[in-house]
Amino acid sequence: MSSLFRKVQWWLQRRRREDDLQEELQFHLAAERDEREAGGLRADDAARAARRDLGNAALVREEARTLWSWMLVEQLAQDVRYGLRGMLKHRMFTALAALSLALGIGANTAIFSFMDAILLRSLPVSDPASLVVVKWRSRPYQNQGPSQFVMRGADGRTYRDASGITAGIFPFPAFELLREASAPVLSSLFAHKSAGSVNVIVRGEAELVRGEFVSGGFFPGLAVVPAAGRPIVADDDRAGAPPVAVLSLGYSQRRFGDPASAVGQPVLINNVPFTVVGVAPAEFFGVDPSAAPQVYLPMRSTNLVAEQLGLLALKLGDRAFTGENYYWAEIMGRLKPGVDLATAETALAAPFARWVATTATNDRERDNLPALRLDEGAAGLDSLRRQYSKPLYVLLTMVGLILAIACANTANLLLARSAARAREMAVRLSLGAGRWRVVRQLLTESVLLATLSGALGIIIAIVGMRVLTQLLANGQEGFTLHAELNWHVLLVTLALSVACGMLFGLAPALQATRPALMPRLRDRSVTESGTRPRLVRVSLTQVLVVAQIATSLVLLVAAGLFVRTLTNLQSISLGFNRDNVLLFEVNAPQAGYPQARVADFYADLRRRLGEVPGVRDVTLSHASLIRAGRSHPIMVDGRPTQGTRVLWTGPQFFTTMQIEIVRGREIVEGDRHGTLPVAVVSDLFARTNLGDGDPIGRHIAIGGSLSIGGAPLVLEVVGVAANARYGGLKGENPPVVYVSYAHLPSTQHRQMTYAMRTESDPLRYVSAVRQIVHAADGRVAITNVKTQAFDIDQTINQEIVFARLCSAFAILALTIACVGLYATMAYAVARRTGEIGLRLALGAGRGAVIWMMLRDVCVLAAVGLAIGGSAALASSRFIESLLFETKPNDPRAVAFAAVILLASALVAGYGPARRASCVDPLTALRHE
Amino acid sequence: MTPPKAPSRVDLLRGTLDLLILRTLLPGPSHGHAIAKHIQRTSEELLQVETGSLYPALYRLEAKGWIAASWELSDKGKRARYYRITQKGRKQLAAEQSKWTAFVRAMGLLLKPADEDAS
Repeated sequence: MSSLFRKVQWWLQRRRREDDLQEELQFHLAAERDEREAGGLRADDAARAARRDLGNAALVREEARTLWSWMLVEQLAQDVRYGLRGMLKHRMFTALAALSLALGIGANTAIFSFMDAILLRSLPVSDPASLVVVKWRSRPYQNQGPSQFVMRGADGRTYRDASGITAGIFPFPAFELLREASAPVLSSLFAHKSAGSVNVIVRGEAELVRGEFVSGGFFPGLAVVPAAGRPIVADDDRAGAPPVAVLSLGYSQRRFGDPASAVGQPVLINNVPFTVVGVAPAEFFGVDPSAAPQVYLPMRSTNLVAEQLGLLALKLGDRAFTGENYYWAEIMGRLKPGVDLATAETALAAPFARWVATTATNDRERDNLPALRLDEGAAGLDSLRRQYSKPLYVLLTMVGLILAIACANTANLLLARSAARAREMAVRLSLGAGRWRVVRQLLTESVLLATLSGALGIIIAIVGMRVLTQLLANGQEGFTLHAELNWHVLLVTLALSVACGMLFGLAPALQATRPALMPRLRDRSVTESGTRPRLVRVSLTQVLVVAQIATSLVLLVAAGLFVRTLTNLQSISLGFNRDNVLLFEVNAPQAGYPQARVADFYADLRRRLGEVPGVRDVTLSHASLIRAGRSHPIMVDGRPTQGTRVLWTGPQFFTTMQIEIVRGREIVEGDRHGTLPVAVVSDLFARTNLGDGDPIGRHIAIGGSLSIGGAPLVLEVVGVAANARYGGLKGENPPVVYVSYAHLPSTQHRQMTYAMRTESDPLRYVSAVRQIVHAADGRVAITNVKTQAFDIDQTINQEIVFARLCSAFAILALTIACVGLYATMAYAVARRTGEIGLRLALGAGRGAVIWMMLRDVCVLAAVGLAIGGSAALASSRFIESLLFETKPNDPRAVAFAAVILLASALVAGYGPARRASCVDPLTALRHE
Repeated sequence: MTPPKAPSRVDLLRGTLDLLILRTLLPGPSHGHAIAKHIQRTSEELLQVETGSLYPALYRLEAKGWIAASWELSDKGKRARYYRITQKGRKQLAAEQSKWTAFVRAMGLLLKPADEDAS
């Protein structure tokens, strides 16, 4: 430490030190002269003798300077200056090398940032490691027939895999039981439940925001300190407590200016008055990274606001908190210090098992009871991780491969260049430069290049992350995943670029300074044509080129597979016309519209929209066809039907969507409340359930929650429609029953999706639609405005993103590999100029020369293809789950990739080969 | 480059110059020229200290903190850089001296028989 300090100090005072040394040597000289004079010499003789005695004063100074050790710094500065000059001089080389490396580094940083945001980051609360998520697991069960499982009603996600079912939802009584039972092992146990979108009216302005119900223990349990006001506490979370809400910081700023002024303000949430009591801190986004709530409400206020939410709680009312077979509450907890996950799990599993056994009512239920388990909760809920982790790992592998290609490419370029600089190195070495000194200079140059690439890479990463966020969000409202460049990512990039610099700098540096000086100095052509590399003698360069080609092929095959997946998805026949349809959602009851008048409001709105010039047809349904997914128990002649789905539709649905009516008629405006309840069935439904006879006039019964006083709702079939795609593009298309929404109980009149068939670009009608809805009722918010085509694209967003990204990555890899191939061939041509000249002089044709050079390209490409092909076949099954109707070893994709690669390789090789054929024999031979 | 040396002179062994400088400074501060002269005279002109190695050696010792330097007026009234030995230097000298004595003794023991054979 002190030695470093001294060096720095000396470096700072070096001017004075130089003067000191000068004066000291002067004094020495004078003293010596005086002494010699005293010994009897003449004055000038004495002076000369003294100088002779001192020797080379400059050398003395140089040696002293070395000791002061700022020499190293100065040499470094020299190397950097020299390196920069070299980079400027070889702009093409620098641009190619830096850009390819920057693309590799940038892509890696961008993808790693997303990995970090999704997979690695902990919840921003104190001691996240002690958090746990409570879940259960059971064997698979069927939903049909008599109840086979204690979860008879559910509100939340269950995850099904080969061996069973996992879920994180519980009946509220189970939560209360676990809260008591967990006292010895957990310091707190709390519940929460997403409220989905809630309609918040602040000072008369309506807006749909994400809401979250939280139990009284939520904020204290997570140890979240509010930015203003107070959190929701146990006292707020009881039946009959005054309704209070906590806002997110961003939302409070947007609606109230600053957090402090939000506290104490009244707001209308789903038309129920609430008071804002606090504001959550800025970094807190709840416990699910995929859904950052803007409003937190007490759990017990569920029955106040849930009525319009479509939660099952609607029908249960207070029974949501007492029902033992209705699963909905999500539970987290915090371990007491010193208690591990396994101990806590054992302590909670036993009481839960005892309790859940009492909720079973038949033997089949008793046979397959859910078993409680605990998961680590540091990173919050895993919904995002489930959705994105596999795609991200695949992408990370791809960008990793790209970085490898870029490194190989840069190493190749440097190797070629170092060969060109062999003479320069030989001269430096022969003039007395140490080997280490020369290696250090070359290393400095590579690190300089890597630094430049790293800096460029960060810029590329920032842009890339923005693009990626947009690609992933793809118009979803309230997309919460925002990756940002953080310290981890920066460090990884830096390490990557420096490691690259070292890696590709060292090999050429060592090769360049291999001390075979004499032949190089004497004549450069001797060694070079003497050791003309045949293919048998595999050089490092060739290995690198082959590796690049092989890796590119793997990426090309992957891109081909994803593109085929996408085209397969896009070529699925929809059964309806997706073009020129505008979709948007409205939810009148949530805005406080009286339930009884909702149907009229929707019908009126439909009529108003139809009057807009350029709008051909308007209809509405409970969801767009592709997003729908509702099922109710449906019976024909008293027999239950299998896998039937329903869609609540308004008049002229089939006209608007351009679905052919095969028989009978469609649902029309005349089918209103009070007339005979009607339905249209899909062709598939008619064939499977209505037999061979005429389906028109047959009756369908809908049970479940649509039963009125125990009797199912009976509908008469008035039409049969051609099959149209329902609920996503993948999987079997289900039989569908289209029910006239006007005939449903008013509790079913909730959110509706309007569809407008327009004459031209649907997006041109958006402002007209907004005006009309606002004029109809200012309280009603309009959401998710989009075209039908975009709505479909959103459901296959991941496939679209993958196809685009992989194609981009593959093109990137291919380009980099071609640059590498080009550089290698150009170098080979330069090296073999003499030989080529000789061949031409002896009568070889131009074509023969071109072929001679291209043959090398072909051999390299063939070896690369063979290696890459087998690697692609071996690895592509890892992405099988991401493909759709495409085999992982799809021969077309592999062949396509191989052809593209071969063609690109030939194009890259043709330029240098042509240049070789244009060599003037005379010049070439003189050169020799 | 190197001036021809008198045959009676002995080349300094590597590493011994540091020891000689430290020993020379033990009685009191001195400047570079005086140090060289002192070594020369005391060794009865057998050891010749070259300026080219003396000053780098002085800076090296200063860098190690074994000697310290300051500008003072010489006895002839000129500004000269005077070096004096530090506490650390004294310790180093003691250590080096005992090592050297041991080395000389070992050499002596090994070479004595040959000398006797020769005489």
